Amino acid sequence: MRSLQSHPLKFTVLLALVWAFVLVLPTMVVASGSGADVTQHSKSAYTGGPPQLENAKGEACIRPSDWMRRNHMDFLKHRRAQTVREGLRIRSESLIKCAECHQSREKFCDQCHNYVGVAPDCFECHSYPK
Amino acid sequence: MTMDRRTVLGLGGVATAGVVLAPGMTLIAAPPPDKTEASSDQRWAMLIDVNKCDSNCTACTKACRQENNVPLFGDPNRDIHWIRKLEIRDKEHRRPSVSLPVMCNHCENPPCAHVCPTQATFIRKDGIVLVDKHRCIGCRYCMLACPYKARSLVYHETSRNEDSNPEVPIRAKGVVEKCNFCVHLVDDGKQPACVQACRNEGKHAMIFGDLNDPQSEISVKIRTVKTQTIRADLGLKPHVHYEGL
Ligand code: SF4
Ligand code: SF4
Ligand code: SF4
Repeated sequence: MRSLQSHPLKFTVLLALVWAFVLVLPTMVVASGSGADVTQHSKSAYTGGPPQLENAKGEACIRPSDWMRRNHMDFLKHRRAQTVREGLRIRSESLIKCAECHQSREKFCDQCHNYVGVAPDCFECHSYPK
Repeated sequence: MTMDRRTVLGLGGVATAGVVLAPGMTLIAAPPPDKTEASSDQRWAMLIDVNKCDSNCTACTKACRQENNVPLFGDPNRDIHWIRKLEIRDKEHRRPSVSLPVMCNHCENPPCAHVCPTQATFIRKDGIVLVDKHRCIGCRYCMLACPYKARSLVYHETSRNEDSNPEVPIRAKGVVEKCNFCVHLVDDGKQPACVQACRNEGKHAMIFGDLNDPQSEISVKIRTVKTQTIRADLGLKPHVHYEGL
């Protein structure tokens, strides 16, 4: 008697699970399969596509490019503190020199900053050298 | 602004009588070396001869605004002044009133730096008192501490326009700033904007130079002419000296 009653209950639960799986599976396929959908969604936040860096003029950066890519923020911030507080001015490595090769801030700095969603506020007060 | 002479002077400075040496001026500087750093070998200071300063002249204050992107908001309670022109007079009217520019004195014992909770205000090795605007939280303790009213809080957003000086940041809302002795020019071996403007105006009332160099024009003058500092009684050891007060 007990087994007769409990069997249909177990069966119902199992059936529900199977159905749930059958229903959820296509949704998962849609979510993972159509990359276009995902891009569509994030487009409202960022419209520029992957960073398109303008070719720099000049021969070489003052540091190796891959080092710069990773460390420019610490480098600039450290130099900023040294310049403000110790009066350190290294003219061959000033921001004016950056701008001699990377002439457009929009086509260089802003490209990656927008892409990764960081907003350094340096240029709210300072002007990017021309 | 008109102020009482004794109030401005406090108990007055040290009187040194002597000869005036002819100032030798060669200021066409060679381009600065690639790397320079502030050093205690220098002690920058200013000397203002109030006899040469004209009460109608505002060349220095205009030049400061232009050089350092200091705007006028048109509201006396909110306006930023890095340098102001004062009229001071004798209470008994025994002497004619004098006109003088007043800016940050770059005190040797600066109370503004002592009270700053973030160390945004500090003394550079060469004696220039600076505000690191990246650290300032706008608490305004320093404004209360400074007896010379040298500091202003930037109450409003400011913006860059085609007349702005691109070499200098625009003033940032919410931080306190003041005269910085035009540190960007001084580091390049140039003279502060107000001093240049005063000279271009033909007045030659301001000299700027290094007190640690005994041969500099300012050292020679301070040694040989009667000069004073404002409110010397406060013991802050200002480094803006006045002649003829
Ligand atoms: S004049 Fe005022 S702001 Fe300038 S160093 Fe002295 S106390 Fe500080
Ligand atoms: S307003 Fe800024 S500079 Fe002045 S005491 Fe506060 S943190 Fe320091
Ligand atoms: S030294 Fe420079 S910042 Fe100071 S009052 Fe003169 S122009 Fe202004």
